[in-house]
Amino acid sequence: MQDFLELAVSATASGCIYGLIALAYLLMIRPTGIINFAVGEWAMVAAFGGYLLLTKHQLPYPLGMAVVLAFMLLVGWVSERVAVRPLVEKGAPILAPILALLGVLVVTREAISVSFPPDPMPVPFPFGIGRLEFAGIGGSYQSFFIIAVTAAVFAGTWVFFEKTLWGKSFEAVSLNRRAAALMGINLSRVTALSFAAGASVAGCAGLLVSPNISAHYLMGIPLAIQGFTALVIGGVGRVEGALVGGLLLAFAEQLTARYAPIPSGFAQGVPLLFLIIFLLVRPTGLLRARG
Amino acid sequence: MRKLLAVALAAFAGTLFAQETIKIGVIADRVGVSRPYSEPNTEGVVFGANEINQKGGVLGRKIELLIEDDQSRPDISAALARKLIDQGAVFIISVSLSPAAQQQQTVTMEAKTPQMTPTNSADYLTTQLPNPYFWQTGPLGSTQIATLLAHARSKNFKRVALITDNSELGQAIGKAFKGTLEKAGIQIVADEVVARGATTAIPQMQKIRAANPEAMFLAGVLTAENVLIFRAYKELGVKFPIHSSYNLSVPVYETVAKGLIDGITFVDAYDPDKPEVRAFEAAFKKATGKDPQNMHGYGYDGIMLVADAIRRAGSTDKEKIRAAMQATNYAGVMGKKGMKYSFPDGKRAGFDTDGMVVRVYEKDKQGRVVHVGQK
Repeated sequence: MQDFLELAVSATASGCIYGLIALAYLLMIRPTGIINFAVGEWAMVAAFGGYLLLTKHQLPYPLGMAVVLAFMLLVGWVSERVAVRPLVEKGAPILAPILALLGVLVVTREAISVSFPPDPMPVPFPFGIGRLEFAGIGGSYQSFFIIAVTAAVFAGTWVFFEKTLWGKSFEAVSLNRRAAALMGINLSRVTALSFAAGASVAGCAGLLVSPNISAHYLMGIPLAIQGFTALVIGGVGRVEGALVGGLLLAFAEQLTARYAPIPSGFAQGVPLLFLIIFLLVRPTGLLRARG
Repeated sequence: MRKLLAVALAAFAGTLFAQETIKIGVIADRVGVSRPYSEPNTEGVVFGANEINQKGGVLGRKIELLIEDDQSRPDISAALARKLIDQGAVFIISVSLSPAAQQQQTVTMEAKTPQMTPTNSADYLTTQLPNPYFWQTGPLGSTQIATLLAHARSKNFKRVALITDNSELGQAIGKAFKGTLEKAGIQIVADEVVARGATTAIPQMQKIRAANPEAMFLAGVLTAENVLIFRAYKELGVKFPIHSSYNLSVPVYETVAKGLIDGITFVDAYDPDKPEVRAFEAAFKKATGKDPQNMHGYGYDGIMLVADAIRRAGSTDKEKIRAAMQATNYAGVMGKKGMKYSFPDGKRAGFDTDGMVVRVYEKDKQGRVVHVGQK
């Protein structure tokens, strides 16, 4: 039992990372319909930001984290202005900004690759390396920190969409862009904010995972794939779907690796299997949009 | 006057001839998955070439390096080998991924152009293709595990765990480890893989813990995933010893795995007490301002071996260089004290199977040599 509870903490922490990346996708898809695969690279940018501010310049963790997340808001906003808005304003098909954002992905990765040494860079743990145990549940400090921060991000996002006027305007744009525009909602501002928020959430995932895996220039693609799979599982209809998808994916991965009587290497196929099954059987994901 | 003109022309032609360089191609990875290893390898090659040129070059001619980037992609790599040969390279040094070096061989074999890799450790590079123009001088995966086992023999292990990653090289080294362990009659009670891009290695380490091995052998080559394995090991509080492939000989672990690696033994081809290593480290630091690591040493030995072959061939004729390379008997930076690279009995893997050492991490630093060779 202790074995399972240990694994549950580990899987929940991994699921939270996947969920945050899925949420980054979702924040941009809902109002714009654009799938932005550069979210993984944004997570990488934030991880390198963590290395620069927290490891190299040794800023206090809360300050360093705040600066990185604020910088990521700017990264998302600039990406929207440069790669998305010009195409949308010219009436380009939806595929055009998706391809342009793939270009952003490549440029971002190569920029980091040539700007930093090739080796992984260390990012510190906010509470050091250690293990917390209570009521039979045990896990690293970082696992519990990831879970707590993710819970706060999802709660904040849920409140934003459900309880604020700004959130309602995002929902309105996602339901019907033209009608929302006719009602006086500024579409450009909503789009820019959705990209800024998406980049910041992806950056949060990158900062949280980087103490475990270090900051390195190839970390973005796997995160983008895991987050996308979580999004497909949970569905784009509701914010909580991203978290549910992430948790389900991580538990499936880790339970298979731990308990399934198959060679360990085969457990790597689980996310792909999930992706195929959900795309075939339930392409809208587990949670559907309200109304 | 005519005589004077003729002498002047001859002197001018002589100068031109003296300035003609010997072109050596280098296929490296500057942006792909093997960049962490390829970059220091390439720096070692460049440093070695500069050192040779400062001492007058080879056969009175300077070495000119033509460096290309294949991103560790075999398809690009073969095209680059062709490009380098067309540009006049008389030798190609491969410091990218093993499959890329393998793909280059399809070109060098057909073009009869000498090619070598000073670092790739996949055993198949010199066994799958009958290419007499290719050599590898890095320690093979089978040599690594045999050396580790020789060190561990005193412990009389009966049950061990094996863990690696899903990279091509990690799988190849894992396979070599598995074969050698089974041949030695040691039971592998857990055989685990951590996928590239994983965020934890807790499930794999739990499985290993449940199998209760006497030791764990690590064959992974991906730094981030190896660090995850060490974190899981520490977090779960397991105590069995870890013996690692030469991937842990890369000093980056001293920073990214701080607090996690004390006591881990790893196989290495770099003995810091060796006189050649001390001389190399001093010269490299003086020239570049940086402390070298073993990966620089592999590249340095690579260019030195090529220069040595051309020098003994006495010309840049590729066939003569091939014959000279096959007859190599050269002591370099890498390997245990006194080790020499050679290719006896027509073999083309030149790292002495008895030439590796086992070292141990002490206080997060690569520490002393605790074992030498396979005996």
